[in-house]
Amino acid sequence: MLEVKLHDIGEGMTEGEIIHYLVKVGDSVKTDQPLVEVQTDKMVAELTSPCSGVVKKIIIDAGETVRVGTSLIYIEADESIKMEQKTSPEMKQDVKKEAFSPVMLKEKNMALTFNRVLAAPFTRKIARDNNINIEDVPASDPSGRVTEEDVYRFLKGQQPETQKESVVAVQKEAITLETPDEIPFKGIRKKIAEKMTKSLFTIPHVTHFDEVNMTNLFRMREELKASGESVSVSAFLIKALVISLKDFPIFNAELDEDNSRILLKKNYHIGIATNTDSGLIVPVLHDADKKSIKNIHAEVKGLTERAIAGKMQPFEMQNSTFTVSNVGPLGSTGATPIINYPETALIAFHKTKKQPIVNERDEIVIGHIMTLSMAFDHRVADGATAVAFTNRFASLIEHPHKLMMEMI
Amino acid sequence: MVVGEISQQRNLIIIGGGPGGYSAAIRGAQLGLSVTLIEQAEMGGVCLNKGCIPSKIFTHAAAKKADTAHLNELGIEFDDNTFNYRKLLDYKDKAINGLRAGVESLCKNNKIELIRGKATFLGTDKIGVENGHQFDIFKFDQAIIATGSTPILPPTINEKGKRILLSHEIFELEKKPEHLVVLGQDYIALEVASSFAALGAKVSILLEDKSSFAFDESIHKEMLRLFKRSKLNVYKEAQLLSSNETESEISITFKNDKNVEETIQGSHLFIAGLRKPNVDSLGIGRIGLAQTNEGFIHVDAYMRTSIPSIFAIGDVTEGPLLAIKAIKQGKAAVEAIAGHKPEVDITFMPVVAHTIPPAVSVGLTEQNALDFGLKVRVSQYPLGGNGYASITAKKDGFIKVISDPATEIISGIHMMGEGAIEMSGSFVQLLEMAAKEEDVKFPLYAHPGLGEGLLEAVEGLIGQAIHAPPAKKKDLSII
Repeated sequence: MLEVKLHDIGEGMTEGEIIHYLVKVGDSVKTDQPLVEVQTDKMVAELTSPCSGVVKKIIIDAGETVRVGTSLIYIEADESIKMEQKTSPEMKQDVKKEAFSPVMLKEKNMALTFNRVLAAPFTRKIARDNNINIEDVPASDPSGRVTEEDVYRFLKGQQPETQKESVVAVQKEAITLETPDEIPFKGIRKKIAEKMTKSLFTIPHVTHFDEVNMTNLFRMREELKASGESVSVSAFLIKALVISLKDFPIFNAELDEDNSRILLKKNYHIGIATNTDSGLIVPVLHDADKKSIKNIHAEVKGLTERAIAGKMQPFEMQNSTFTVSNVGPLGSTGATPIINYPETALIAFHKTKKQPIVNERDEIVIGHIMTLSMAFDHRVADGATAVAFTNRFASLIEHPHKLMMEMI
Repeated sequence: MVVGEISQQRNLIIIGGGPGGYSAAIRGAQLGLSVTLIEQAEMGGVCLNKGCIPSKIFTHAAAKKADTAHLNELGIEFDDNTFNYRKLLDYKDKAINGLRAGVESLCKNNKIELIRGKATFLGTDKIGVENGHQFDIFKFDQAIIATGSTPILPPTINEKGKRILLSHEIFELEKKPEHLVVLGQDYIALEVASSFAALGAKVSILLEDKSSFAFDESIHKEMLRLFKRSKLNVYKEAQLLSSNETESEISITFKNDKNVEETIQGSHLFIAGLRKPNVDSLGIGRIGLAQTNEGFIHVDAYMRTSIPSIFAIGDVTEGPLLAIKAIKQGKAAVEAIAGHKPEVDITFMPVVAHTIPPAVSVGLTEQNALDFGLKVRVSQYPLGGNGYASITAKKDGFIKVISDPATEIISGIHMMGEGAIEMSGSFVQLLEMAAKEEDVKFPLYAHPGLGEGLLEAVEGLIGQAIHAPPAKKKDLSII
């Protein structure tokens, strides 16, 4: 009999709520068949069956929140792979208590070389023998080197005498070291950190800024509103973006370095960077090129609402080919955004401001100007192409009737 | 023969008697466990019988051969400077047999039960061992899988005749190859190319893209220079397209660094690099043991697999396929079983090639630093400035040190040159001890000696190596 346990779905989760079971006792299941839906702090995920067989018992009721490692279901494997059921002999001490989680021993995990805590092998051993993670021990040496004394001090629950003999002689009495407030660095925050680091360490970013005159678009939106059609600005922006992407497919691409090729994506799945209480989430508007402005408006609204409520399904956050960050409503005039790896580019829309502009008749009038920042992967595309791309985008927004030409 | 229903009880069963398996067995015995070792071929595994050890006999012979010109300079003259390949093969067999006998007697003295045969899991606590017509069943408390890996052909080659050699075959050749073409740039490929050339074979080497070179870039550069000086034909950024064997030769077609198809002929083609884990006959799929897509076994920090009673170590698990890792993991697995808290961390595992001269990379490379945007101090000290290197006519190569300018902690040491393998012990210790520059500068070094090279490389980080030309001062007059 095999136990299906709640495992970490890959975002550093520690617990999950059992939403509902997709199978019942007595059901035959196949390998990889979804068994149960679990809600984490970020999304709803499905756990699948590790083998084919018959569901024998459901241990945890739906609605309960359980910790990672808890057994949820017993499955009796098919005859062909049935084995004698016997709990394996106990291993001594606490080695057996920790749940199985594979570790990667990569040939050259260089991130480890400079992220690994600096500590001599014997110091590491003292930490291990006392069941503490050496990574948690603060170093008294300003260079970050953890010593035996640091470990013993940590064991006794003492804070290190930080920088007592610091090279920089500061007015010691003037400074009181207050214990900082702690925010746990895990879950979605940690996930964001990992993604951003990966992107920035992999992709040579270039950010290109531009201004877009929104005056005509605003006028058109007002007219639509007067006739009872209320559509958000971002729906127009996404539409214009997708049209521009079709003209410049290099920005709807992924660099596949291992195979020395650039994949120009045929789908236009637009990621919408969304600010939620727990952090940045990127729901995906799938096949944006096949949707009308009205549909885009409705779908983006639904996606953002579900993202903010923490009700995303995993597939709703996958496979984006280009990402948009509309920070305009929050303010800002420019940024150097980080690309949503492994995509090629990301565009951020900033606040639209009223500004004096010079019109075709050389008169100074009041215009609505939005700034945008476009980050792109300089391995894949060059600056001139990026400028041509945003020019195309700007011309569609500045002359919104052009959008009609692209209606399907 | 009827399969017996009676199974015999054992404590710890280790499958595979390679360096990882036998180290685990001996450590297990030292910790008071009763250990059974199952081996289907010869004790010592690929490493002792067909890998590390035979290759080192060849690299050692090659280095000695390369030294004869210098010995002549010293007045040690050879009337008849010939090389007898057959004798080298005999010496290889003798050395391997000696080492294998050593391992066997160590196992015996540690009271390790040795069972010959092929092992297959019948359950999470049961194993069958087949040896000819005999089939025995053992129940175990814990088992360690240490079955290793086997070299495989690259996908571009479907068929393999006797002119294509994989890493376990090259040292079994009966005759010295006339023109050996080497494909690959891992340590085995570099060693084979370097030593067969020194032993008098014509050698061509097809290197891959520079980015997959495991050593610091400085070693890449120096190695290419020395290869070319030794009259090796070096092809950079080659991509193998196909090969064709005939009765008398093998022709190899590849795309060269200018993206043009090129074909060369040789007597043999040596291919290094690709290996697959030896799991096929273990039956681990049946008991649901978690594996990667390539078949390597997932293990945790204590070498446990997804089945709590079964552990795995060495090449059969993920990560670099090296005896260094297998030996460490083998001991760690047994220590975990005995209730200790071992740790395996391969961050500062040395990357080693016994070329002429040998090369070693430990820790951060300059390329890594650049990729991750780290601020580093770099010093490369040429061995030409080292007194002992001059005396012994081993002036090729250098020692390169990389440190963090803010904390002065040393983060990488790379060396190509005589003594690099032995010196790598100090490099690894310095990195593991989180040494700072002063920790290298304070101690005293034998004079004259190659160790002074390390001292001067570290002194060079702030432009204070004694036996090196002064660093060029930046000309400020232009401002």
